[in-house]
Amino acid sequence: MEIEEGNTSNTRKISKRTILFGVIPFIVIGAMIVLLLNSSGILFQSSIKPLPEISIEKVEFLENNMIVAFVRNTGPSEITIAQADVNDRIYPAAVEPGRTLTRLADAKVIIPFVWNTGEPYGIGITTDDGTRFDKSVNSAAAAPRPTVGQASTFALIGTYVGIIPVMMGLVWYPFIRRLSPNKYNFFLSLTAGLLVFLGIDALLESNEIAVDNLAPAFNAQILIIMVAIITLISLLYVSQRLIQRASKRSKPDVEIEYKKGYSSNSEPDLGTRDMKSTSTSFQQQLLIRPIAISMMISIGIGLHNFGEGLAIGAAVLLGEVALSSFLILGFTLHNTTEGLAIVAPMAKSRRIPVAKLIIMGLIAGGPTILGAWIGGFLYSPIATVIFLSIGAGAIFQVVYSIGSWMYHTNGSRGLLNNHWIIIGFAFGMFIMYLTGLLV
Amino acid sequence: MSYPQIAVVFGIAISLIVLAISTAVYSKSSFSDQNSSKLNTFGGHTPGYPTLQTTGDVLDPTSLVINPKNAVVDPMKYLREFNYGKLSTSSNGTLIRDFTMIASDQLTKEVSPGVFYNVWTFNGTIPGPTLRATEGDTIRITLINNGSKFHSIHFHGIHPSEMDGVFEGIAPGGKFIYQFTAEPFGVFPYHCHMQPLEEHITHGLYGALIIDPKKPRASADEMVMLMNGYDTDFDTENNFYTVNGIPYYYMHHPIQIDKNRLIRIYLLNMLEFDPLNNFHLHANMFDFYKTGTKLIPDEYTDIVTMNQGERGTLEFSYKYPGKYMFHAHKTEFAEKGWTGLFLVKEGTNQSINENLNVTSISNITNYSTTDFNKTTGLVPTGGVN
Repeated sequence: MEIEEGNTSNTRKISKRTILFGVIPFIVIGAMIVLLLNSSGILFQSSIKPLPEISIEKVEFLENNMIVAFVRNTGPSEITIAQADVNDRIYPAAVEPGRTLTRLADAKVIIPFVWNTGEPYGIGITTDDGTRFDKSVNSAAAAPRPTVGQASTFALIGTYVGIIPVMMGLVWYPFIRRLSPNKYNFFLSLTAGLLVFLGIDALLESNEIAVDNLAPAFNAQILIIMVAIITLISLLYVSQRLIQRASKRSKPDVEIEYKKGYSSNSEPDLGTRDMKSTSTSFQQQLLIRPIAISMMISIGIGLHNFGEGLAIGAAVLLGEVALSSFLILGFTLHNTTEGLAIVAPMAKSRRIPVAKLIIMGLIAGGPTILGAWIGGFLYSPIATVIFLSIGAGAIFQVVYSIGSWMYHTNGSRGLLNNHWIIIGFAFGMFIMYLTGLLV
Repeated sequence: MSYPQIAVVFGIAISLIVLAISTAVYSKSSFSDQNSSKLNTFGGHTPGYPTLQTTGDVLDPTSLVINPKNAVVDPMKYLREFNYGKLSTSSNGTLIRDFTMIASDQLTKEVSPGVFYNVWTFNGTIPGPTLRATEGDTIRITLINNGSKFHSIHFHGIHPSEMDGVFEGIAPGGKFIYQFTAEPFGVFPYHCHMQPLEEHITHGLYGALIIDPKKPRASADEMVMLMNGYDTDFDTENNFYTVNGIPYYYMHHPIQIDKNRLIRIYLLNMLEFDPLNNFHLHANMFDFYKTGTKLIPDEYTDIVTMNQGERGTLEFSYKYPGKYMFHAHKTEFAEKGWTGLFLVKEGTNQSINENLNVTSISNITNYSTTDFNKTTGLVPTGGVN
């Protein structure tokens, strides 16, 4: 403490010079900004007009013979929209709020057009310098309107795709509880495998949306990695706090139950190294952690399913898929494994009340409905990309938690020399791949 | 906090974030509409298509008119404007027609409503001026190059090598006099022949030269129609197709002609990139004189298809008044601008066609020009000569 005080008084002595050195860069940069902005055309004169760029983010087909394209100016300077076309044939159109778009501003181009359901269309926008930008739609379908009927349809889809499969997975809880340690490890690592697959899937999908629907101006691909990493480290922090807080307030009877179990446990699985350093708090962690991990898995899968819901809603809106029973069945099978992922870590803890399981299931499955509503009615590619990335980050946090949990419970044996863990992990990814083929 | 509480807080947090993002992204497009009071009408030209009102701007080349200050040409003026040159007589009695052509390549003009393009022009317009002479006259053209690149004029027709505009490029700021005898009679394109040839032509350096036979053709309402296109995004595909320089111009400014009056069109195809172009006349047939070099028609038809640089003369007259379309029957071109209208009126200037039984149709079409304008709501500009 004394040394620190000495340091601070030392810096106070030279504070004026320090401030000066701290401020100089800002002054120089400020001066440069003023000079460059005010002298445009003097210092760096260029007769070349920057190339315009427009992103057509969404195309909606409306029932009353209209096509609406949502465009955004993603170029470096202001642009003016001059003409619109359908399949490269010029049509009268209107642009709201106006034809001139400042940088990153958006507009709605409304084209009266008698379109045919199920046919592919290319929508083109020509700027005042004659450059044409286009977006193709694979199959025209009437855009879902936010009506009660449509909202219930999306809710039903969300229930089939999100809630039911997760709940079905949860039903395996009693079965998982009766497993031997090796089989339990197998199921835990299977869960990790499922989740790694989901995480990679989310990253790839958000990348695809970023490439197809977002302009390079958004740097969306960097954004994906950034958001995923930030989510991962934030959730790691949150889960640590959650475990700490929960272990402080944990109920005595549970503690006793656990201590009994632990002291009578002669398994060499728990490393002595951990025992020495963390003593009681670690014992409590061991008790609380499975539930905390399951909770985090629910939240992670919830975020993932929110992204999945967005994607489903958007796909319906953009006419990319015809929603078929087969597709929904595929999603259902695919997502049943998610429920398994939630219950697996809790297998060796005390019995979990059914209500708590149901809440976890709702956290994991419910966001699908919310996602489908937002994706279907208010599709925004940037929001979809961000949510898929958050989902990916959340899932990788869960994988980390499961990994460290298995590492601690396995003690000196480690993770990678247990063949059950390796097989389980591989099997988990394979299940996802195979059920993914149905989607 | 218990898990249900965490779950609820988390759910609310997610919903709030999503709402914030979606609202931020869509606020402008969804909510800005409500403030504005002015309403523009658009659509409704085509049967079955809704007529709509918008608070925003209308994008419609089929009804919007370019401000003449920016327009690459006045198609109505170009249609019937023939330049006969400054006349003088040589020592041997030959009529000399002097023309001045100024090449430029740095103008930016509006080629379709709202679309600006760097045009290369002869005398400031696309197409360049229509030059006209009689067979046997001496044509003398002074080319002044006001551009930044080498340019020339290459005329189709018969002339000496050094007047062909291929090997002598005119430097920026330079000047050259082309002189040759007008032969044979017919319709000829002229265009710049500097390399890269396609670039010089597609930017707009072309026009029509008409050489009349010594014994004049029958009196007619004569017009020039030059078919072209613009590749405004430089992908070697045309973005716009036109007749006489501006897409759809004659849709909102129909060409007024008199019933039963002989119409003669000098038609040229100066389209680049697309090998073919054509002309289709509605509700009528025409005599076609290929290249305009004969006095006997080659064909009686309603479609003529031309390769790049091909041209000919069309003669027809309309039997019934009304609105008639003409357009490329390559319908892609028609839907990208190469479409126009004739507005046939009860003629004041009667030229009687012997083959026509006037009384038999009079009861069907017995209304005056003013009535017609009332029914269509069209207020055409540009007059009949």
